[in-house]
Amino acid sequence: MADGTGALGDRLAPELGVRGAGPAHVTVGGLTAAGCALLVFVSEHCPTSALALRRLGPLCQAWARAGLTAVAIFEDPLDVAIRTARRLGWGGQVAADDPPYPASRAYRVATVPTAVLIGRGGVLVGTVAGWDQPALAALLGAAGEMLGAGLAVPPAAEPLRKPGCSAKAAIDPELAAAMSGPGGGDELEEMFERGWTDGLPVIPPTAERVEAMLGGRDGGASLGLVPPAMGEATLERVAACAVLAGCRPAYFPVVAAAARAVLDPAFNLHGQAVTTQPAGQLVVVNGPVREAIGLNSGMGALGPGFRANLTIGRALRLLVTLTGGAMPGAMDRATLGHMGKLGFCVAEDEEVSPWEPLHVDRGFAAGQSVVTVIGSDAPLSISDHRSRTPEDLAYILAWAAASTWSTHWWPLAEPSVFVICPEHAQMFRDAGWTKQRLRQFMFDAVRKPARQLLRGETTPVVHAAAPDTQVPKWASPEAIVLLVAGGEAGRYSAVLGPCTGMGSQIVSREVT
Amino acid sequence: MAADYVSPFDERVRAAEPLAPRPASVQGQHAVLLDIRKNRGAEFLDRVETLLRAAGVSTARVTKEIFSKPAALSLIDEIASGGGLVVEALAD
Repeated sequence: MADGTGALGDRLAPELGVRGAGPAHVTVGGLTAAGCALLVFVSEHCPTSALALRRLGPLCQAWARAGLTAVAIFEDPLDVAIRTARRLGWGGQVAADDPPYPASRAYRVATVPTAVLIGRGGVLVGTVAGWDQPALAALLGAAGEMLGAGLAVPPAAEPLRKPGCSAKAAIDPELAAAMSGPGGGDELEEMFERGWTDGLPVIPPTAERVEAMLGGRDGGASLGLVPPAMGEATLERVAACAVLAGCRPAYFPVVAAAARAVLDPAFNLHGQAVTTQPAGQLVVVNGPVREAIGLNSGMGALGPGFRANLTIGRALRLLVTLTGGAMPGAMDRATLGHMGKLGFCVAEDEEVSPWEPLHVDRGFAAGQSVVTVIGSDAPLSISDHRSRTPEDLAYILAWAAASTWSTHWWPLAEPSVFVICPEHAQMFRDAGWTKQRLRQFMFDAVRKPARQLLRGETTPVVHAAAPDTQVPKWASPEAIVLLVAGGEAGRYSAVLGPCTGMGSQIVSREVT
Repeated sequence: MAADYVSPFDERVRAAEPLAPRPASVQGQHAVLLDIRKNRGAEFLDRVETLLRAAGVSTARVTKEIFSKPAALSLIDEIASGGGLVVEALAD
């Protein structure tokens, strides 16, 4: 026994006052209608509970066919219970015992996990507290005898026994209510408990805040399914993410446009959300909305300090992470990731730029407000304070990108984004260079003979080329995206490498 | 408490799909080998295919459009109707 095992004789099981995820009301009668029931009291925070759910979960369906109904009863909100059970592969029913945990108290649960076997007629047969594989096997043996069927038992794998965690029900009821009751606890901590976070504190999405964010829009309208978990992006959920991120309601049209953009299949959010690559979703904003909502395109354009930039990018990432289920370490499999995955929104400084802005390049009118999303790696700063000709500067900018993705992976088909600072842009303006000329120069400048690229990770293009064939860094000039942003002083531009190999295309949506 | 907040999650409960029954033997079975287009996945499937054929399994090869996108429904239908066994070559 880990924390204690007991046979309970002919005591009747107390009634359950718990909410379930189908059926909504979980009762002893309902659970034992087909034979016997196994209650597994657990808590989301308890590692031993997680162990029990992982080991018992795969057996639940076979048990159900034999007449044993298993239910995991969480001392957590029902939505947390459902998500945790899904993540851990629990195959039985799911229920939540809300504070002050009447079901756990009725069953005298002091430790989670605790397994309770209820036999025919609602008779308590036995309990196992903590993780205790031999005791659980014996309990399941007893259930099998009652049902006249052999029941699968969890494998006798290490650890055979593991102590459980203190049940919340074991805490004084008034204290438990104070910790967990509405308005009585710490709302910000509750958001962490619910998992409604990207790791930083969030603004609780109260119904009032979400309604204000929606601004009269139909919250039930759907923008589509968010991969990888295919959660439905109703406008209400998008608004909840915008509230969580700290957006003002004025930002919501931009958030919604960004959501529509990433859900375009051409963007391949599915691949980006689960990849081991570091890729994040860069949001570029053009048009009058930049000034209207206070987006920064000047000093520190890629950094901190501006609520609109930071919260719009964060709202989009929360949509992907929460509604879409791309939780880092779970379905988001990024080996390293990068800080832009918290949120990455930049506005182009169209007024300083010598060129037509990105959204005009992409077919929109200059007066339209447009969001463009691009799968992007983290920014790599490019310092050049000494070039005195546009050719030298263009050469430096282009070659800085030679090691993006990988030093020998040439050519890149997906877009590399160059954020050109105002002083660098001024040099091209003074020389009369168009965006097309700069892009073509950069494309032509970065080439190597195939033989120099035959090392480690390289492309089929390099393998197929003759040794002296010049291979470019990019597959075409169009794979070079040029934006202008940043402070008026300082000659630091940046390049953002691409999300590679996914066929992800740039997508733009008008802000409406 | 839950009614005070709007959840960002899609809380609909989805039923887990049970695993298909496993055959006792591969002898005489038909296997579909799915190449998702990850680097060298085809080489892996070549070897698996050789071993399966030696074990009396007939085989067919199918390929996804790209590894990073879900398979097209038509391809899933083709796999589902094409054989009792599926082998998928995943990552490089």
